Amino acid sequence: MEDKAYIEDLIARYLNGNCPPTEYQELKLWLEESAEHEKVFFSVKDIWDSSRTYHDKSEDQLTLFYKNQFEKAKKSKQLWIRYSTVAAAILAVGLLITTLLPYTKTANTGQELVFSVPLGSRSTATLADGTEVHLNSGSKLSYSSDFSSINRVVYLTGEAFFDVESDSEHPFIVKTADFNVKVTGTQFNVCTYTENNYSSTTLAEGKIELQIGGSNQNFEIKPGEKFELDRQTRKYILGSADIESEIAWKDGEFIFRNIPFPELVKKLERWYDVRLNYSDEGLQRFSYTGRFKNQETIWQVLDALKLTSPIDYQKTTFREFKLIYKPLK
Amino acid sequence: MPDFDSLFRKYQQRLLLYTLKFVESESDALDIVQNIFVAVWENGKYRQEEDLVQAYLFSAVKNSCLNYIKHQKVVRKFEHDVALEIKEMEALHYQSGEKSLIEKESLKQINDAIDSLPDIYREVIFLSRFDGLKNHEIAERLNIPVRTVETRIFRGLNALKEKMSQKSFVILLFMRDLSVNVNFK
Repeated sequence: MEDKAYIEDLIARYLNGNCPPTEYQELKLWLEESAEHEKVFFSVKDIWDSSRTYHDKSEDQLTLFYKNQFEKAKKSKQLWIRYSTVAAAILAVGLLITTLLPYTKTANTGQELVFSVPLGSRSTATLADGTEVHLNSGSKLSYSSDFSSINRVVYLTGEAFFDVESDSEHPFIVKTADFNVKVTGTQFNVCTYTENNYSSTTLAEGKIELQIGGSNQNFEIKPGEKFELDRQTRKYILGSADIESEIAWKDGEFIFRNIPFPELVKKLERWYDVRLNYSDEGLQRFSYTGRFKNQETIWQVLDALKLTSPIDYQKTTFREFKLIYKPLK
Repeated sequence: MPDFDSLFRKYQQRLLLYTLKFVESESDALDIVQNIFVAVWENGKYRQEEDLVQAYLFSAVKNSCLNYIKHQKVVRKFEHDVALEIKEMEALHYQSGEKSLIEKESLKQINDAIDSLPDIYREVIFLSRFDGLKNHEIAERLNIPVRTVETRIFRGLNALKEKMSQKSFVILLFMRDLSVNVNFK
Protein backbone atom coordinates (compact mmCIF):
# COMPACT_ATOMS: atom_id res chain seq x y z
CA MET A 1 0.00 0.00 0.00
CA GLU A 2 3.02 2.23 0.39
CA ASP A 3 3.81 1.73 -3.25
CA LYS A 4 3.74 5.16 -4.90
CA ALA A 5 2.37 3.95 -8.21
CA TYR A 6 -0.37 2.09 -6.37
CA ILE A 7 -1.46 5.24 -4.53
CA GLU A 8 -1.39 7.27 -7.74
CA ASP A 9 -3.73 4.82 -9.42
CA LEU A 10 -5.93 4.71 -6.34
CA ILE A 11 -6.30 8.51 -6.50
CA ALA A 12 -7.15 8.33 -10.19
CA ARG A 13 -9.78 5.69 -9.39
CA TYR A 14 -11.20 7.84 -6.62
CA LEU A 15 -11.50 10.76 -9.03
CA ASN A 16 -12.76 9.04 -12.13
CA GLY A 17 -13.38 5.36 -11.65
CA ASN A 18 -15.63 3.02 -9.83
CA CYS A 19 -14.00 3.13 -6.48
CA PRO A 20 -15.32 0.53 -3.98
CA PRO A 21 -15.86 1.59 -0.31
CA THR A 22 -12.84 -0.44 0.84
CA GLU A 23 -10.64 1.78 -1.31
CA TYR A 24 -12.11 4.94 0.23
CA GLN A 25 -11.00 3.58 3.57
CA GLU A 26 -7.55 2.84 2.18
CA LEU A 27 -7.25 6.34 0.77
CA LYS A 28 -8.35 7.87 4.06
CA LEU A 29 -5.76 5.91 6.01
CA TRP A 30 -3.06 7.00 3.62
CA LEU A 31 -4.14 10.64 3.93
CA GLU A 32 -3.98 10.45 7.71
CA GLU A 33 -0.39 9.27 7.59
CA SER A 34 1.05 12.71 6.88
CA ALA A 35 0.33 16.29 5.94
CA GLU A 36 2.45 15.70 2.86
CA HIS A 37 0.04 12.99 1.67
CA GLU A 38 -2.89 15.31 2.20
CA LYS A 39 -1.19 17.97 0.19
CA VAL A 40 -0.51 15.66 -2.75
CA PHE A 41 -4.08 14.44 -2.85
CA PHE A 42 -5.83 17.76 -2.35
CA SER A 43 -3.76 19.56 -4.94
CA VAL A 44 -4.32 16.85 -7.54
CA LYS A 45 -8.01 16.74 -6.77
CA ASP A 46 -8.08 20.54 -7.02
CA ILE A 47 -6.70 20.42 -10.56
CA TRP A 48 -9.27 17.75 -11.35
CA ASP A 49 -12.12 19.84 -9.96
CA SER A 50 -11.01 23.04 -11.68
CA SER A 51 -10.75 21.42 -15.10
CA ARG A 52 -14.32 20.10 -15.07
CA THR A 53 -16.31 21.12 -18.13
CA TYR A 54 -19.39 22.78 -16.87
CA HIS A 55 -21.97 24.51 -18.95
CA ASP A 56 -22.18 28.10 -17.73
CA LYS A 57 -25.59 28.64 -16.15
CA SER A 58 -24.87 32.08 -14.73
CA GLU A 59 -27.41 33.89 -16.94
CA ASP A 60 -30.25 31.55 -15.94
CA GLN A 61 -29.16 31.77 -12.35
CA LEU A 62 -29.11 35.56 -12.42
CA THR A 63 -32.69 35.59 -13.75
CA LEU A 64 -33.66 33.19 -10.99
CA PHE A 65 -31.95 35.41 -8.46
CA TYR A 66 -34.00 38.46 -9.46
CA LYS A 67 -37.15 36.43 -9.65
CA ASN A 68 -36.67 35.20 -6.08
CA GLN A 69 -35.82 38.68 -4.89
CA PHE A 70 -38.92 40.01 -6.57
CA GLU A 71 -41.14 37.36 -4.95
CA LYS A 72 -39.62 38.22 -1.60
CA ALA A 73 -40.19 41.92 -2.13
CA LYS A 74 -43.79 41.28 -3.12
CA LYS A 75 -44.36 39.28 0.03
CA SER A 76 -42.97 41.93 2.31
CA LYS A 77 -45.18 44.48 0.48
CA GLN A 78 -42.36 46.92 0.25
CA LEU A 79 -41.94 49.15 -2.70
CA TRP A 80 -38.62 48.33 -4.27
CA ILE A 81 -38.05 50.90 -6.93
CA ARG A 82 -34.87 49.14 -7.90
CA TYR A 83 -36.87 46.11 -8.88
CA SER A 84 -39.32 47.89 -11.12
CA THR A 85 -37.53 47.12 -14.37
CA VAL A 86 -36.80 43.63 -13.17
CA ALA A 87 -40.45 43.09 -12.35
CA ALA A 88 -41.54 44.18 -15.79
CA ALA A 89 -39.02 41.85 -17.34
CA ILE A 90 -40.11 38.90 -15.26
CA LEU A 91 -43.77 39.43 -16.09
CA ALA A 92 -42.82 39.46 -19.71
CA VAL A 93 -40.76 36.33 -19.38
CA GLY A 94 -43.48 34.36 -17.61
CA LEU A 95 -42.96 30.69 -17.03
CA LEU A 96 -39.92 29.46 -18.86
CA ILE A 97 -38.48 26.10 -19.63
CA THR A 98 -35.06 27.57 -19.38
CA THR A 99 -35.12 31.12 -18.17
CA LEU A 100 -33.50 33.84 -20.17
CA LEU A 101 -32.01 36.94 -18.78
CA PRO A 102 -33.03 40.20 -20.36
CA TYR A 103 -30.62 42.98 -19.72
CA THR A 104 -31.51 46.58 -20.29
CA LYS A 105 -29.67 48.99 -22.48
CA THR A 106 -30.43 52.64 -22.30
CA ALA A 107 -30.26 54.46 -25.57
CA ASN A 108 -31.40 57.95 -26.47
CA THR A 109 -34.67 56.54 -27.68
CA GLY A 110 -35.57 54.75 -24.48
CA GLN A 111 -35.01 51.38 -22.94
CA GLU A 112 -34.41 48.18 -24.79
CA LEU A 113 -34.84 44.69 -23.40
CA VAL A 114 -32.51 42.06 -24.76
CA PHE A 115 -32.60 38.28 -24.53
CA SER A 116 -29.46 36.57 -25.64
CA VAL A 117 -28.63 32.89 -25.81
CA PRO A 118 -24.98 31.81 -25.68
CA LEU A 119 -23.47 29.36 -28.15
CA GLY A 120 -24.21 25.74 -27.37
CA SER A 121 -27.60 26.33 -25.76
CA ARG A 122 -31.20 27.12 -26.66
CA SER A 123 -33.96 28.86 -24.76
CA THR A 124 -37.62 29.77 -24.76
CA ALA A 125 -39.33 33.00 -23.75
CA THR A 126 -42.96 34.09 -23.57
CA LEU A 127 -43.49 37.73 -24.45
CA ALA A 128 -46.01 40.06 -22.82
CA ASP A 129 -48.57 39.49 -25.61
CA GLY A 130 -48.47 35.71 -25.12
CA THR A 131 -46.21 35.03 -28.11
CA GLU A 132 -43.83 32.17 -27.55
CA VAL A 133 -40.29 32.48 -28.89
CA HIS A 134 -37.74 29.67 -29.13
CA LEU A 135 -34.24 31.08 -29.53
CA ASN A 136 -31.49 28.99 -31.07
CA SER A 137 -27.87 29.00 -29.97
CA GLY A 138 -25.97 32.29 -30.40
CA SER A 139 -29.12 34.38 -31.02
CA LYS A 140 -30.37 37.68 -29.70
CA LEU A 141 -33.91 39.01 -29.48
CA SER A 142 -34.57 42.56 -28.39
CA TYR A 143 -37.55 44.84 -28.08
CA SER A 144 -38.33 48.23 -26.68
CA SER A 145 -39.59 48.52 -23.10
CA ASP A 146 -43.00 49.63 -24.40
CA PHE A 147 -43.58 46.30 -26.15
CA SER A 148 -47.18 45.29 -25.41
CA SER A 149 -50.14 43.47 -26.89
CA ILE A 150 -50.80 46.49 -29.11
CA ASN A 151 -47.20 47.34 -29.97
CA ARG A 152 -45.63 44.10 -31.10
CA VAL A 153 -42.23 44.77 -32.67
CA VAL A 154 -39.10 42.71 -32.01
CA TYR A 155 -35.56 42.68 -33.44
CA LEU A 156 -33.72 39.46 -34.15
CA THR A 157 -30.20 38.34 -34.97
CA GLY A 158 -29.59 34.62 -35.20
CA GLU A 159 -32.39 32.09 -35.35
CA ALA A 160 -35.80 31.95 -33.69
CA PHE A 161 -39.07 30.11 -34.01
CA PHE A 162 -42.13 32.24 -33.24
CA ASP A 163 -45.54 31.00 -32.20
CA VAL A 164 -47.42 34.29 -32.41
CA GLU A 165 -50.55 34.93 -30.38
CA SER A 166 -53.33 35.72 -32.83
CA ASP A 167 -54.52 39.34 -33.06
CA SER A 168 -55.56 40.55 -36.51
CA GLU A 169 -55.69 44.20 -35.47
CA HIS A 170 -52.19 44.44 -34.09
CA PRO A 171 -49.63 42.78 -36.34
CA PHE A 172 -46.52 41.20 -34.86
CA ILE A 173 -43.38 42.43 -36.61
CA VAL A 174 -39.94 40.79 -36.61
CA LYS A 175 -37.21 43.11 -37.86
CA THR A 176 -33.89 41.70 -39.00
CA ALA A 177 -30.85 43.15 -40.74
CA ASP A 178 -32.11 41.77 -44.05
CA PHE A 179 -35.89 41.84 -43.99
CA ASN A 180 -38.96 42.50 -41.89
CA VAL A 181 -41.68 39.93 -41.33
CA LYS A 182 -45.22 41.01 -40.51
CA VAL A 183 -47.77 38.52 -39.19
CA THR A 184 -51.02 38.41 -37.30
CA GLY A 185 -51.04 34.94 -35.75
CA THR A 186 -48.88 32.11 -37.06
CA GLN A 187 -45.94 29.82 -36.48
CA PHE A 188 -42.75 30.54 -38.36
CA ASN A 189 -38.99 30.29 -38.23
CA VAL A 190 -36.53 33.11 -38.95
CA CYS A 191 -32.83 32.46 -39.48
CA THR A 192 -30.43 35.40 -39.88
CA TYR A 193 -27.02 34.52 -38.47
CA THR A 194 -24.62 37.21 -39.57
CA GLU A 195 -21.95 34.65 -40.49
CA ASN A 196 -24.29 32.81 -42.89
CA ASN A 197 -24.51 33.64 -46.58
CA TYR A 198 -28.27 33.30 -46.56
CA SER A 199 -31.06 34.64 -44.38
CA SER A 200 -34.34 32.85 -44.45
CA THR A 201 -37.80 32.50 -43.04
CA THR A 202 -39.98 29.39 -43.12
CA LEU A 203 -43.69 29.32 -42.47
CA ALA A 204 -45.35 26.43 -40.62
CA GLU A 205 -48.85 27.80 -40.20
CA GLY A 206 -50.92 30.88 -41.07
CA LYS A 207 -49.71 33.66 -43.32
CA ILE A 208 -46.83 36.09 -43.28
CA GLU A 209 -45.87 39.20 -45.19
CA LEU A 210 -42.24 39.88 -45.79
CA GLN A 211 -40.50 43.05 -46.85
CA ILE A 212 -36.87 43.11 -47.90
CA GLY A 213 -34.98 45.79 -46.00
CA GLY A 214 -34.30 49.00 -47.91
CA SER A 215 -36.73 48.19 -50.72
CA ASN A 216 -40.42 48.13 -51.44
CA GLN A 217 -40.45 44.48 -52.41
CA ASN A 218 -43.21 42.69 -50.56
CA PHE A 219 -43.92 38.97 -50.51
CA GLU A 220 -46.71 36.90 -49.18
CA ILE A 221 -45.55 33.53 -47.88
CA LYS A 222 -47.82 30.52 -47.56
CA PRO A 223 -47.57 27.57 -45.15
CA GLY A 224 -44.84 25.12 -46.12
CA GLU A 225 -42.88 27.78 -48.01
CA LYS A 226 -39.42 29.08 -47.36
CA PHE A 227 -38.07 32.45 -48.40
CA GLU A 228 -34.31 32.58 -48.76
CA LEU A 229 -32.28 35.69 -49.42
CA ASP A 230 -28.66 35.75 -50.57
CA ARG A 231 -27.17 38.38 -48.29
CA GLN A 232 -24.63 39.53 -50.81
CA THR A 233 -26.36 39.51 -54.18
CA ARG A 234 -29.78 40.23 -52.61
CA LYS A 235 -31.23 37.52 -54.84
CA TYR A 236 -34.01 35.49 -53.33
CA ILE A 237 -35.77 32.17 -53.73
CA LEU A 238 -39.31 31.47 -52.63
CA GLY A 239 -40.06 27.77 -52.70
CA SER A 240 -41.39 24.81 -50.81
CA ALA A 241 -39.59 23.92 -47.58
CA ASP A 242 -38.85 20.90 -45.47
CA ILE A 243 -40.65 22.23 -42.40
CA GLU A 244 -39.72 19.32 -40.14
CA SER A 245 -35.99 19.73 -40.52
CA GLU A 246 -36.14 23.55 -40.47
CA ILE A 247 -37.76 23.73 -37.06
CA ALA A 248 -36.62 20.48 -35.38
CA TRP A 249 -33.99 22.45 -33.45
CA LYS A 250 -36.65 23.95 -31.20
CA ASP A 251 -37.37 20.48 -29.80
CA GLY A 252 -33.68 19.71 -29.32
CA GLU A 253 -33.37 17.69 -32.50
CA PHE A 254 -30.98 18.21 -35.34
CA ILE A 255 -32.29 17.15 -38.73
CA PHE A 256 -30.57 17.98 -41.99
CA ARG A 257 -31.35 16.87 -45.49
CA ASN A 258 -28.91 17.33 -48.27
CA ILE A 259 -27.09 20.30 -46.82
CA PRO A 260 -23.63 21.22 -48.09
CA PHE A 261 -20.64 20.39 -45.89
CA PRO A 262 -19.73 24.01 -44.98
CA GLU A 263 -23.27 24.57 -43.75
CA LEU A 264 -23.18 21.41 -41.66
CA VAL A 265 -19.93 22.55 -40.07
CA LYS A 266 -21.41 25.94 -39.14
CA LYS A 267 -24.47 24.30 -37.62
CA LEU A 268 -22.40 21.86 -35.55
CA GLU A 269 -20.13 24.65 -34.34
CA ARG A 270 -23.06 26.65 -33.06
CA TRP A 271 -24.89 23.65 -31.69
CA TYR A 272 -21.94 22.33 -29.68
CA ASP A 273 -19.97 25.53 -29.18
CA VAL A 274 -16.83 24.08 -30.72
CA ARG A 275 -14.62 25.05 -33.63
CA LEU A 276 -14.26 22.69 -36.57
CA ASN A 277 -11.45 23.60 -38.93
CA TYR A 278 -10.87 22.15 -42.34
CA SER A 279 -8.76 23.29 -45.24
CA ASP A 280 -9.29 20.64 -47.88
CA GLU A 281 -11.36 21.80 -50.83
CA GLY A 282 -12.43 18.21 -51.45
CA LEU A 283 -14.72 18.40 -48.43
CA GLN A 284 -16.75 21.25 -49.90
CA ARG A 285 -18.34 18.96 -52.46
CA PHE A 286 -20.12 16.72 -49.97
CA SER A 287 -23.64 17.12 -48.85
CA TYR A 288 -25.18 15.51 -45.82
CA THR A 289 -28.42 14.05 -44.65
CA GLY A 290 -28.92 12.97 -41.07
CA ARG A 291 -30.83 13.21 -37.87
CA PHE A 292 -29.79 13.16 -34.25
CA LYS A 293 -30.89 14.33 -30.86
CA ASN A 294 -29.11 16.81 -28.71
CA GLN A 295 -27.97 14.03 -26.34
CA GLU A 296 -25.26 12.88 -28.70
CA THR A 297 -21.84 14.26 -27.85
CA ILE A 298 -19.70 16.00 -30.45
CA TRP A 299 -17.48 12.88 -30.40
CA GLN A 300 -20.36 10.65 -31.42
CA VAL A 301 -21.31 13.03 -34.19
CA LEU A 302 -17.76 13.19 -35.49
CA ASP A 303 -17.46 9.41 -35.27
CA ALA A 304 -20.64 9.12 -37.33
CA LEU A 305 -19.16 11.48 -39.93
CA LYS A 306 -16.00 9.42 -39.99
CA LEU A 307 -17.90 6.17 -40.49
CA THR A 308 -20.15 7.43 -43.24
CA SER A 309 -17.87 9.68 -45.26
CA PRO A 310 -14.20 10.04 -46.20
CA ILE A 311 -13.53 12.28 -43.24
CA ASP A 312 -11.25 11.88 -40.27
CA TYR A 313 -10.87 14.20 -37.33
CA GLN A 314 -8.30 15.23 -34.76
CA LYS A 315 -8.71 17.19 -31.61
CA THR A 316 -6.45 20.22 -31.74
CA THR A 317 -7.19 22.22 -28.59
CA PHE A 318 -9.74 22.27 -25.83
CA ARG A 319 -12.80 22.99 -27.94
CA GLU A 320 -11.34 22.71 -31.38
CA PHE A 321 -11.18 19.93 -33.94
CA LYS A 322 -9.55 19.56 -37.32
CA LEU A 323 -11.45 17.73 -40.05
CA ILE A 324 -9.37 15.94 -42.62
CA TYR A 325 -10.39 14.73 -46.06
CA LYS A 326 -9.44 11.09 -46.50
CA PRO A 327 -10.35 9.93 -50.02
CA LEU A 328 -11.18 6.24 -50.36
CA LYS A 329 -8.49 4.20 -51.96
CA MET B 1 -16.76 49.36 -8.11
CA PRO B 2 -18.36 46.43 -9.92
CA ASP B 3 -22.12 46.37 -10.35
CA PHE B 4 -24.07 43.46 -9.01
CA ASP B 5 -24.94 41.85 -12.36
CA SER B 6 -21.40 41.77 -13.68
CA LEU B 7 -20.19 40.44 -10.34
CA PHE B 8 -22.75 37.67 -10.55
CA ARG B 9 -21.76 36.82 -14.12
CA LYS B 10 -18.09 36.82 -13.24
CA TYR B 11 -18.18 34.71 -10.09
CA GLN B 12 -21.26 32.51 -10.24
CA GLN B 13 -19.64 29.74 -12.23
CA ARG B 14 -16.42 29.77 -10.27
CA LEU B 15 -18.24 29.60 -6.96
CA LEU B 16 -20.36 26.79 -8.32
CA LEU B 17 -17.29 24.83 -9.46
CA TYR B 18 -15.82 25.31 -6.03
CA THR B 19 -19.02 24.10 -4.37
CA LEU B 20 -19.12 21.04 -6.62
CA LYS B 21 -15.78 19.96 -5.12
CA PHE B 22 -17.73 19.10 -1.97
CA VAL B 23 -21.37 18.90 -2.88
CA GLU B 24 -22.49 16.10 -5.17
CA SER B 25 -26.04 17.28 -5.76
CA GLU B 26 -26.02 19.98 -8.43
CA SER B 27 -29.27 21.54 -7.23
CA ASP B 28 -27.90 21.84 -3.69
CA ALA B 29 -24.75 23.42 -5.10
CA LEU B 30 -26.78 25.94 -7.12
CA ASP B 31 -28.76 26.82 -3.98
CA ILE B 32 -25.61 27.35 -1.95
CA VAL B 33 -24.25 29.79 -4.54
CA GLN B 34 -27.59 31.59 -4.87
CA ASN B 35 -27.69 32.08 -1.09
CA ILE B 36 -24.23 33.62 -1.10
CA PHE B 37 -25.36 36.16 -3.69
CA VAL B 38 -28.53 36.85 -1.70
CA ALA B 39 -26.28 37.64 1.26
CA VAL B 40 -24.01 40.07 -0.63
CA TRP B 41 -27.07 41.67 -2.19
CA GLU B 42 -28.73 42.19 1.17
CA ASN B 43 -25.70 43.28 3.14
CA GLY B 44 -24.49 45.53 0.33
CA LYS B 45 -20.98 43.96 0.36
CA TYR B 46 -21.01 43.87 -3.43
CA ARG B 47 -20.43 47.61 -3.45
CA GLN B 48 -16.91 47.21 -2.06
CA GLU B 49 -13.67 47.01 -4.01
CA GLU B 50 -13.61 43.90 -6.17
CA ASP B 51 -10.67 42.30 -4.31
CA LEU B 52 -12.59 42.49 -1.07
CA VAL B 53 -15.75 41.18 -2.68
CA GLN B 54 -13.87 38.23 -4.17
CA ALA B 55 -12.29 37.37 -0.82
CA TYR B 56 -15.68 37.64 0.83
CA LEU B 57 -17.38 35.43 -1.78
CA PHE B 58 -14.80 32.69 -1.47
CA SER B 59 -14.72 32.70 2.30
CA ALA B 60 -18.53 32.51 2.26
CA VAL B 61 -18.48 29.57 -0.15
CA LYS B 62 -15.89 27.75 1.97
CA ASN B 63 -18.02 28.13 5.08
CA SER B 64 -21.16 27.06 3.26
CA CYS B 65 -19.51 23.92 1.95
CA LEU B 66 -18.15 22.94 5.33
CA ASN B 67 -21.55 23.50 6.92
CA TYR B 68 -23.15 21.45 4.20
CA ILE B 69 -20.82 18.52 4.88
CA LYS B 70 -21.43 18.77 8.62
CA HIS B 71 -25.14 18.77 7.98
CA GLN B 72 -24.83 15.72 5.72
CA LYS B 73 -22.95 13.92 8.48
CA VAL B 74 -25.85 14.56 10.83
CA VAL B 75 -28.33 13.36 8.24
CA ARG B 76 -26.41 10.15 7.67
CA LYS B 77 -25.66 9.77 11.36
CA PHE B 78 -25.84 6.00 11.48
CA GLU B 79 -23.81 5.31 8.43
CA HIS B 80 -20.09 5.47 8.65
CA ASP B 81 -19.50 7.45 5.48
CA VAL B 82 -15.81 7.52 4.60
CA ALA B 83 -16.30 9.51 1.39
CA LEU B 84 -17.90 12.28 3.41
CA GLU B 85 -15.09 12.20 5.95
CA ILE B 86 -12.54 12.66 3.18
CA LYS B 87 -14.54 15.62 1.90
CA GLU B 88 -14.59 17.11 5.36
CA MET B 89 -10.81 16.81 5.63
CA GLU B 90 -10.57 18.60 2.30
CA ALA B 91 -12.98 21.37 3.31
CA LEU B 92 -10.98 21.97 6.49
CA HIS B 93 -7.79 22.08 4.44
CA TYR B 94 -9.19 25.05 2.48
CA GLN B 95 -10.64 26.57 5.62
CA SER B 96 -7.12 26.94 6.97
CA GLY B 97 -6.24 29.51 4.32
CA GLU B 98 -5.19 27.27 1.43
CA LYS B 99 -6.53 28.56 -1.87
CA SER B 100 -8.06 26.47 -4.61
CA LEU B 101 -6.99 27.10 -8.20
CA ILE B 102 -10.62 28.01 -8.85
CA GLU B 103 -10.08 30.95 -6.54
CA LYS B 104 -6.59 31.85 -7.73
CA GLU B 105 -6.81 31.45 -11.50
CA SER B 106 -9.37 32.19 -14.15
CA LEU B 107 -11.03 29.15 -15.70
CA LYS B 108 -9.52 30.10 -19.03
CA GLN B 109 -5.99 29.85 -17.68
CA ILE B 110 -6.72 26.35 -16.48
CA ASN B 111 -8.10 25.35 -19.88
CA ASP B 112 -5.07 26.87 -21.61
CA ALA B 113 -2.79 24.82 -19.39
CA ILE B 114 -4.64 21.65 -20.41
CA ASP B 115 -4.07 22.55 -24.06
CA SER B 116 -0.33 22.78 -23.50
CA LEU B 117 0.01 19.31 -21.94
CA PRO B 118 1.90 16.54 -23.76
CA ASP B 119 -0.42 14.51 -26.00
CA ILE B 120 -0.68 11.32 -23.94
CA TYR B 121 -1.83 13.26 -20.86
CA ARG B 122 -3.99 15.75 -22.70
CA GLU B 123 -5.87 12.92 -24.34
CA VAL B 124 -6.99 11.25 -21.10
CA ILE B 125 -7.66 14.56 -19.34
CA PHE B 126 -9.74 15.67 -22.28
CA LEU B 127 -11.73 12.44 -22.53
CA SER B 128 -12.49 12.45 -18.83
CA ARG B 129 -13.12 16.16 -18.27
CA PHE B 130 -14.66 17.30 -21.55
CA ASP B 131 -16.43 14.17 -22.61
CA GLY B 132 -17.15 12.79 -19.15
CA LEU B 133 -15.79 9.28 -19.79
CA LYS B 134 -14.89 7.06 -16.85
CA ASN B 135 -11.46 5.41 -16.67
CA HIS B 136 -12.64 2.04 -17.99
CA GLU B 137 -14.43 3.75 -20.91
CA ILE B 138 -11.27 5.62 -21.81
CA ALA B 139 -9.34 2.35 -21.64
CA GLU B 140 -11.78 0.81 -24.09
CA ARG B 141 -11.65 3.74 -26.47
CA LEU B 142 -7.87 3.94 -26.54
CA ASN B 143 -7.42 0.20 -26.31
CA ILE B 144 -5.06 0.34 -23.34
CA PRO B 145 -5.30 -1.21 -19.83
CA VAL B 146 -7.31 0.64 -17.16
CA ARG B 147 -4.20 0.79 -14.99
CA THR B 148 -2.44 2.76 -17.73
CA VAL B 149 -5.37 5.19 -17.92
CA GLU B 150 -5.26 5.66 -14.15
CA THR B 151 -1.54 6.33 -14.20
CA ARG B 152 -1.86 8.80 -17.06
CA ILE B 153 -4.73 10.61 -15.35
CA PHE B 154 -2.71 11.04 -12.18
CA ARG B 155 0.49 12.06 -13.98
CA GLY B 156 -1.44 14.38 -16.31
CA LEU B 157 -3.04 16.14 -13.35
CA ASN B 158 0.34 16.35 -11.68
CA ALA B 159 1.87 17.88 -14.81
CA LEU B 160 -0.96 20.40 -14.89
CA LYS B 161 -0.31 21.24 -11.26
CA GLU B 162 3.35 21.91 -12.12
CA LYS B 163 2.33 24.15 -15.01
CA MET B 164 -0.01 26.17 -12.85
CA SER B 165 2.55 26.61 -10.07
CA GLN B 166 5.27 27.61 -12.55
CA LYS B 167 3.06 30.42 -13.67
CA SER B 168 2.55 31.85 -10.23
CA PHE B 169 6.28 31.56 -9.67
CA VAL B 170 6.93 33.80 -12.67
CA ILE B 171 4.51 36.36 -11.30
CA LEU B 172 6.25 36.29 -7.93
CA LEU B 173 9.65 36.88 -9.55
CA PHE B 174 8.19 39.75 -11.45
CA MET B 175 6.86 41.32 -8.29
CA ARG B 176 10.24 41.04 -6.61
CA ASP B 177 11.85 42.79 -9.57
CA LEU B 178 9.38 45.57 -9.17
CA SER B 179 10.17 46.06 -5.53
CA VAL B 180 13.90 46.04 -6.35
CA ASN B 181 13.33 48.88 -8.77
CA VAL B 182 11.45 50.83 -6.18
CA ASN B 183 14.27 50.38 -3.69
CA PHE B 184 16.80 51.80 -6.08
CA LYS B 185 14.88 55.01 -6.32
